[in-house]
Amino acid sequence: MDTTDVVETLDNLVADATDHHYSPYTRFDWVDELAEEQWWMTPDLLTVAGTRHARELDEKQLMRLSKWESINFFSLNIHGIRELLIEVTRRIHTRGFELPSEFFHRFLGEENGHMWFFAQFCLRYGGKIYPDKSLPVATPEEDAAVANFLVFARILIFEELVDHFNIRMGRDTTLHPLIREVNQVHHDDEWRHIIMGRKLVGLLYEPLRERGDQELRERLDVYLRRYITASVQSLYNPAVYRDAGVPEAFAFREELLRDPARAAYHETFFKRITRFLVSQDIITASPFQEAAA
Amino acid sequence: MATDVIEQVRAWLLARNPEVTGIGWDEDLIDSRLIDSLDFPHLLLLLEELAGRELELTPENVVGFRTLRGIRDTVLADATGAGAVSHE
Repeated sequence: MDTTDVVETLDNLVADATDHHYSPYTRFDWVDELAEEQWWMTPDLLTVAGTRHARELDEKQLMRLSKWESINFFSLNIHGIRELLIEVTRRIHTRGFELPSEFFHRFLGEENGHMWFFAQFCLRYGGKIYPDKSLPVATPEEDAAVANFLVFARILIFEELVDHFNIRMGRDTTLHPLIREVNQVHHDDEWRHIIMGRKLVGLLYEPLRERGDQELRERLDVYLRRYITASVQSLYNPAVYRDAGVPEAFAFREELLRDPARAAYHETFFKRITRFLVSQDIITASPFQEAAA
Repeated sequence: MATDVIEQVRAWLLARNPEVTGIGWDEDLIDSRLIDSLDFPHLLLLLEELAGRELELTPENVVGFRTLRGIRDTVLADATGAGAVSHE
């Protein structure tokens, strides 16, 4: 396999990461407090957007919801980063990962910094990190090539979802400058991880495609589409709704997830990554296509 | 309380697995593929709703979540048990 293109991309990403290196520990001026009554998240990114609740809740209630959805969003980042730190550390400088290992050093350093500033934000302004709801001991994938592909595909999907939110909030001048900055700084690093992720996912999928095992490809297609759906569902957290003062939080979540208006939002969140995965013939369609139709 | 709500858990699992007609008390929900890692957060949120509190999940106590008996006897047995964070 010709890897010239990959080597060149990785070299450029390493050079860019070196040029833009910063200390996360001194990068932000943490304010003493953030008032609850303000937008903590772009209203259009809230899980109620497009539903009757966005119209029926008053602005003060929506702002309170935006606070806790923002803490949940950063908490999800923390848990996602934990998984990717573990999985990338497991693979750096091992056979098959010689090419990206130099970049992995930058990646791990940056992700550790991101996890730190997201945790700072949650703990300083929310007083907590929402717990991870995923299964602590997942069933291991026995096929190493499949496991490697799935790890980097999951990382890429997670980063693309987060990046959509970061880009929107980094530009949203109605948000507090600190909230904008946290999102912008994350995006400024994350684009490199996404470029690397796409290269890696393409490279790791190729040998699986060459096996000619249609059953395996269908299994991966179904799994990744379900993973995308599960990722978006993690944004809907009953604990958030309770903290925002919404009664019947579990039923509220179920109602939002069933609301047909939400499908178009979900489609938008994952537009870039589904287009990429479909173009690579890795998944057959967007998981939200039927819901949005 | 636990006996009443366990049927809701069983019904929820059966609804997600229309090809399955029954689930034994000691059937491992994960090994038998009634739920997988992607479904698990849904189950956890349902159990929290039924328990009326947030449930702490650790590698040590996850075994209690893997069977209907474990869910009935440990997860949903006592809404004021150790590690509970009340919704109220």
